[in-house]
Amino acid sequence: MFVPEAIIQLIHVSKSYDRRAALSDVTLDIAKGEFVLLMGASGAGKSTLLRLLIGEERPDQGQIFVQGKNVGRLKQAEVPYLRRKIGTVFQDFRLLPNKTVFENVSLPLIVQRASMADIRRKVIEALRAVGVEHKKDQFPNSLSAGERQRVCIARAIVNGPVVLLADEPTGNLDPERTAEIIELFKLINARGTTVVVATHDPHVMTLANRRALTLAQGTVVQGPG
Amino acid sequence: MRWLWYLVREAYANLRTNRLTTVVAILTTAFTLACVGIFLLSYVNLRNAANWLQEDIKIIVYLDDAVSQEEVQTLRERLRTDRLVAALRYISKEEALGEFRVQFPTDFHLLEGLGENPLPASFVVTPAPDFRSPEAVARWAERIGGMAGVAKIDYNQEWIDALAEVVRYLELTAIAVGSILSAAAVTIIGNTIRLALFARREEVEILRLVGATGAFIRIPYLLEGAVLGGAGSALALGMLKAGFEVFRHQIGLVGRFHGFEELVSFFPLSVSAAFVAVGMGLGIVGSMISLLRVGERRR
Repeated sequence: MFVPEAIIQLIHVSKSYDRRAALSDVTLDIAKGEFVLLMGASGAGKSTLLRLLIGEERPDQGQIFVQGKNVGRLKQAEVPYLRRKIGTVFQDFRLLPNKTVFENVSLPLIVQRASMADIRRKVIEALRAVGVEHKKDQFPNSLSAGERQRVCIARAIVNGPVVLLADEPTGNLDPERTAEIIELFKLINARGTTVVVATHDPHVMTLANRRALTLAQGTVVQGPG
Repeated sequence: MRWLWYLVREAYANLRTNRLTTVVAILTTAFTLACVGIFLLSYVNLRNAANWLQEDIKIIVYLDDAVSQEEVQTLRERLRTDRLVAALRYISKEEALGEFRVQFPTDFHLLEGLGENPLPASFVVTPAPDFRSPEAVARWAERIGGMAGVAKIDYNQEWIDALAEVVRYLELTAIAVGSILSAAAVTIIGNTIRLALFARREEVEILRLVGATGAFIRIPYLLEGAVLGGAGSALALGMLKAGFEVFRHQIGLVGRFHGFEELVSFFPLSVSAAFVAVGMGLGIVGSMISLLRVGERRR
């Protein structure tokens, strides 16, 4: 049953690949405006859960709601519109090397056919929010790992998503940069965006100091919503 | 409008990034479509010739040497009132000799040796437009051939029929060759687009993640296919035109075919435009085949 105050809700969700269970009967709620850590070792099912949330895959069983939408039942043509409400951040940044920082961050707005003026204003705002406005004309390869991750975060928040999902966002960063990125997520969360960070790093849990859901072998073993 | 600019720029970037593949694709498409064009050009010209000959068909009704003036007059009246006959001209024996003298001045002495004028009088009949089919002409010839005073009926139908047969075969060949080579062009362009997609798979993935619709992702590749097909067919058209002009010039130099160069013609502007449009269409089809699976990776 859908709980109105939850922005993300999983009800008895299972997903397997080649008969190997990636998620087994997972039920959890994440409230609007919450900052949640999704903890677990590699292969615990964190990435699968995030892929299900953005409609990249369908659950074998159970239901997934994001802002009241049953993601598992979305038609293929509806998936892009779901993704426009969700910002995604990856460990490997996934920035386009042949495009400038400005062009990379403007992509979510371009696909929504935003006006030139809107794109300029929102991209500059997003870059300023993550502290790399001065790098807007540079190409990703000329940036440090921490800066690239900031650009990736700017791209994820540029169109004001309701949810920000981050999959091992600090996996390629040193402890100092990790702390900066977690602070950035806290700031974004403080402005009202629900943040879900998947990580295997206990240091991130200490830094974030927020509710943690621990996954092991595809099931929630600690702190379900 | 930035999104539109983005799509056009992406298509251009695709073409530029894979420059060698782009050039190879345009050249191979051009040669493939030029082959189709050669068949098409031959077909169009032979069909024109067949139509022209069919329209120009003349039936010659040769008269017996012993025919009387009354019989000629009766025959003239019968033919004039016949609904198959659009125009009628009587050529007397003397007129026939005069025409022979004009047409074959060097061979005229052959007839002089015979003493008497051997050429028969005749009626030259132009059939009405509705009765120019081979069957109608044959039926009419049979009917008139039995009349008094008629020695023989002659018309150039046989080789018009033979030409029509050639045109029919050429039409079938053009369709078959055109289909096969068009499929080849689609495959060539499809493979080029597949390479472009492979080179930019990361970008496609990112676009999907930031909420691009399938159409948004596909448009640059469809544009790229249209450009490849359009450029290939335009180049093919240029090659055909150059080849056609060389052929026309050369054939004009050969005495036996003098005047033939005025009868052949290149595609009119509308057909040339359609040729390029078809090339673009083939390019788009090639892209579409390669793009079928994009955006449908949900498991």
